[in-house]
Order: sequence, then C-alpha cells, then structure tokens
Amino acid sequence: MTLALDLLTIVGVSAGCFFFVAGTVGLLRFPDALTRMHALTKADNLGLGLIVLGLLPQAAGLGHALKLVAIWLLAQVSAAVASQLIAGAVLRQRSAIWP
Amino acid sequence: MASFLMSAAGLVLAMAALGLVRIFYGPIDADRLIAAQLIGTCGVAILLLLAGATEATPITDVALILALLAAFLSVAFVRGAAGFASASEQGDDDR
Amino acid sequence: MTFSLVRAAGFFGFWLILTGLSLADLAVGILAALVAMRASLVLLPPGQWRPRPLLLLRMALRFLIQSVLAGLDVAWRALDPRLTMEPGFIVFQPRSPPGPARNAFCAITSLLPGTLPCEEDANGDLLIHCLVVSPDVAPQLASEEALFLQALGGRPDHG
Repeated sequence: MTLALDLLTIVGVSAGCFFFVAGTVGLLRFPDALTRMHALTKADNLGLGLIVLGLLPQAAGLGHALKLVAIWLLAQVSAAVASQLIAGAVLRQRSAIWP
Repeated sequence: MASFLMSAAGLVLAMAALGLVRIFYGPIDADRLIAAQLIGTCGVAILLLLAGATEATPITDVALILALLAAFLSVAFVRGAAGFASASEQGDDDR
Repeated sequence: MTFSLVRAAGFFGFWLILTGLSLADLAVGILAALVAMRASLVLLPPGQWRPRPLLLLRMALRFLIQSVLAGLDVAWRALDPRLTMEPGFIVFQPRSPPGPARNAFCAITSLLPGTLPCEEDANGDLLIHCLVVSPDVAPQLASEEALFLQALGGRPDHG
C-alpha cells in the first residue's frame, strides 16, 4: 500500500516538474508577452496541480490534504483572474508605446 | 521519499532562477510581471515540496501566504499601470 | 437569509481547513466567517441564477480535463524546436450577461487550450488572444459558454 502511494507521489511530482520546466522554457522562448502569459497560466498551474496531487498521499491527515487542495484552488483561481488583468494591461501598455 | 521530494524542489528552484532571465531582458514591464508570477508559482511548489520532504507542515502555511500575495501582486501591477490606461483612454477618444 | 447562512457556513468550513480545528481559535473563525459573508454579499450579490449541482460537477470535470489538455498543448509548443504557433486575436460575442457570470466565463476561457481573454470593448465583445488563430475557436467558445450557462441555470437571453 505504501509502495502504491509512494509511486503516486513519484509520478505526480515528476509530471508536475515536467510542466514547470515546460512553463519556464515557454517563458523564455515564446515571442511576446501575451504568448508567454499562456505558458504561465496553463503550464505552471497544471504543474502545481500535479505536484499537489503527488503530495496528497504523503499528507499528514485529511486536514492537511484539504489545505493542499485549497492552496492549489487559490493559485488556480488567482492565475485565471490575474492572467486577464495582465493581458489587458499588456494591450494598453503596447498601445501606449506603439499607438 | 524525502530525498526525491528535495531534488524535485531543487529542479523547480532552478526553473524559478531561469525565470530571472526574463525579468532581466523584459522587454516590457508586463514580461517582468509574468516572470515574477512564474517565480511565485514555483515558490509555492518549492515550499509544498519542502513541507513534504521535511514533514514540517507549517511550511504549508507559508506556501498559502505566498499564493495569496502572488494574487495581490498582479492586481497591484495593473492598478499601478493606470498611467498607461489613461494614456490609452485618451487615444480611445478618437474613435 | 438561508442563503447568507449557507455562505457563512461555507466560509467557516474554509477557515477550518486553513487553520485546523482548535477550540481556542473558534471565536475568531466565526467572526472571520461572518465578515467574509458580509463582504461576499456586497461583492457578489445573490443573483437570479439557480445552479444545477450535477451539471456544475460535470462542467468542473470537463474543465479539469480541458485544463490538462491546455497545459499539454502549451508544454508541447514550448518544447517543440520549431516553435509552431500563429498567435493573434479573435473577437467573441459572449451571450452571458455582463457581471459575475461573464467574469467567471472569462476565467474559464483563460484556462482552456490556446485562448486568453484580454479586453472587453465598448460593445461588450471580448477580445481573445489565441496561440493559434483559426475560425474554429469562436464556435468552440460558444458551445463552452452554452454549457456553462446551462450549468448556472439562468435562461440564456437571445439579444
């Protein structure tokens, strides 16, 4: 049983790390601010979600597991809202520089 | 398991450090903010992994606060970029 | 009244998750839940929506799968040496009424594969940034929005 749980942790955390790598590569390689925004909101938050999923079997009790999920939810919701705010600011900034 | 989680935290930390390159090169402020957000998300993941590795559950609370502050960061930026907003609103008067 | 109590209970449950169950902190928790309830009634007044739990659950599941696909899509593009993308904008006419429902729809859109809402113009149309511009994007968003409105339980008004 412990072996299965540990396996879940290893798979989840590894997959999460993969998306963090992909997110950073996207941040560095994508051509402009808006496409980089895609890399951040999609890849990184999926990475965080997978890492949380992987850590759940190691959590000290139900309360701690729920807290991990709450942190992921908070990060996901705030990323979804923040991405639109930033995207709007990018457009305004761009039109201010290159009208 | 602890050493595995620790090395995962190290990998994510390296990704956060690479994000600094984007902060350095920009070119516009929004790029730097996006990089800062990425580093914030990486920070949350690192703290959660450390909490798992060391079984020091209070670190989870630090991760929670970091996630909360990251949300406020972008709101503060967008409010602070109001100068750009008013500039573009003046431009919008033309249409 | 019951509505506010349900909200306050929800906030209190969230407080318990964050702080853990301890009798000494209970008073602070109840106070915090009541303050949060007041704030939420101001920020998000009870509307005409009648959410359908089963449809919302199905929506959440579908949305979870979509966000995994979105992450894979971005990761694939980032790691592909050729860096294939045709970024650009589309204009989308949302059917959801302005306000909380539309904001929630925009939040969902930002986590769907390849789309990121940027701005609402004077006509109430949404400017959406896409990693790959194609004529399929708008109809897909429209069907997502229809599902979303159905789950919320409001009657989509054909304006």
